[in-house]
Amino acid sequence: MQAILEIAKLSFADAIRNKVAYGVFTFLLLLLATASALASVTMGRTELMIMDLGLGGISILGNLMAIILTIQSLQQERESRTLYVLITRLQGRWKYLVGKFLGLAAVLSIQMIMMCLILSGCIAIFGHIFWLSFVQACITTLFEIYIVIAIALLFAQSSSLFLAILLTLAMDIAGRFTFVIQQLGEQSDSTLVQFFTQGMYYLLPNLEAINLRNQAGYVANIPWHELISMMTYSISEIVFILLISAFIFGRKNLA
Amino acid sequence: MPLIDVQSLHFTVPTGHIIQKTKTILHDVSFSVEQGTSTAYLGTNGAGKTSTFRILCGLVKPNAGQVFFDSEVMHQGLPPKRFGFMPEHPYFYKNLTPRELLTSLGKLSGLPSKGLKQKIEMWAEKLDFTQVLGQRLSTCSKGQAQRVGLAQALIHQPDFILLDEPLSGLDPIGRACVRSVIQDEVRRGATLLFSSHILSDAEAMCDQVVILQEGCIRYAGDIHSLLAHDARWLIQAQGKPLWGQQAGQHTDVEITASLDGVWQIRGANQEVRNTWLQNILSSESTTLVSVQSEQRTLESAFLNLLKIKGDHDASHS
Repeated sequence: MQAILEIAKLSFADAIRNKVAYGVFTFLLLLLATASALASVTMGRTELMIMDLGLGGISILGNLMAIILTIQSLQQERESRTLYVLITRLQGRWKYLVGKFLGLAAVLSIQMIMMCLILSGCIAIFGHIFWLSFVQACITTLFEIYIVIAIALLFAQSSSLFLAILLTLAMDIAGRFTFVIQQLGEQSDSTLVQFFTQGMYYLLPNLEAINLRNQAGYVANIPWHELISMMTYSISEIVFILLISAFIFGRKNLA
Repeated sequence: MPLIDVQSLHFTVPTGHIIQKTKTILHDVSFSVEQGTSTAYLGTNGAGKTSTFRILCGLVKPNAGQVFFDSEVMHQGLPPKRFGFMPEHPYFYKNLTPRELLTSLGKLSGLPSKGLKQKIEMWAEKLDFTQVLGQRLSTCSKGQAQRVGLAQALIHQPDFILLDEPLSGLDPIGRACVRSVIQDEVRRGATLLFSSHILSDAEAMCDQVVILQEGCIRYAGDIHSLLAHDARWLIQAQGKPLWGQQAGQHTDVEITASLDGVWQIRGANQEVRNTWLQNILSSESTTLVSVQSEQRTLESAFLNLLKIKGDHDASHS
């Protein structure tokens, strides 16, 4: 446990000082300013429009940050040979992946919380904030980002920089359309297609299943036990992806 | 008793894109490192030094062969708390300071938090990077990063130290400093295995040598035996050159004449040297000026062993 925490601390300390994060933050502020400007000239519930746009922006930026920070961090550790120094100090390579995940998750949690606080401030300027639906949407967005970190770790340790970004983005996007894949299978007469689409449906992380941003836009909150089951689903997805990563990483030649 | 025993390592890497081929990096590599010794692992670029080190660390798996550490077979690399490893050209996390890095790596090596700060300061002082201890690693020079890299390998005072090119990128003062620190560790009782292309430094630091060429071991043993085996003699004589006929009989003898009329005869075979001495002494027209034995350097022995052409014949008396 001590080793995992040390790796997490190292990853956290390095990633929190990464300039990419600050750049994305600036972009978020610009996005919120634009959303506020747009919302002020539209008819209707300005604060809901800002929340809708803001949560969407946070999700996109959070996803991008998770992908960039994770893949960049792993690639840099490999290039700088820090990876070798860390791995040779561990009994079991899986500890490195778990530590890395925890460190990056901590960095992104802080950044997400800060982004959500800025957004809540923006909403409060224009009107009433519906805390429950807002907080629920923020929590599930955070869990969505944890899943993306796990996916990025899986591809970053097993492929090149460009391929890792491409594959993570592809899986991230596919994870939002798993229901479409399932529907495609249902409409097909071929058993093979049905088997394939069903397999993809269960294999891909269902990121849409933990998306509460639309509900937040309609001020519709869900019961807490549903939120807990969404969090449980996310955690099991993360564990599953990390297990695959650890299996591959444990057998990989780090040349 | 060997601390490290490497037996019949065979390692290949895949090459090619469409048609997969393999390239042999290590071919039946076997050697051992005795406890408390300092061993230089030498070879030309691409000889397989770094690959051997990565196998020892458990970073890559060999196709065949085994590594024994303290008589125990290692499947996943050497035991983390008993060895320290410094990779070639390490430059670590750019956003962290050497102090932060060494604190975390020290803890990862099992050092208690108490006293760790003092230990880091002690190593920084020994390796002369105290002035950058609190600065980001991105601001450190290559030489300073190299010293931090060495500090992380030695901070937990391991039994076995594995260093890949520890002296590269250092200025002469830095090299002397690092060399002295490494020698102190060997004196403490640590076992050292290192690679280096700076053979003069390697010669000063090691008592055992393993020489690798294209993935095969060419020499493994005592450095003194290697140098003695490669030792040459020099006879200087003055007078009428009567030895033209004799030189033809010994092709491994080299004869040169200087402007002041002194002839220099160089060779390796001791029996040949005695024959030459007898002939010179018995000749009335030739005077013996001097007889010297020339101690070869590790560099000349290395080049000679690998049959690499160069100015390695310029040896030091």
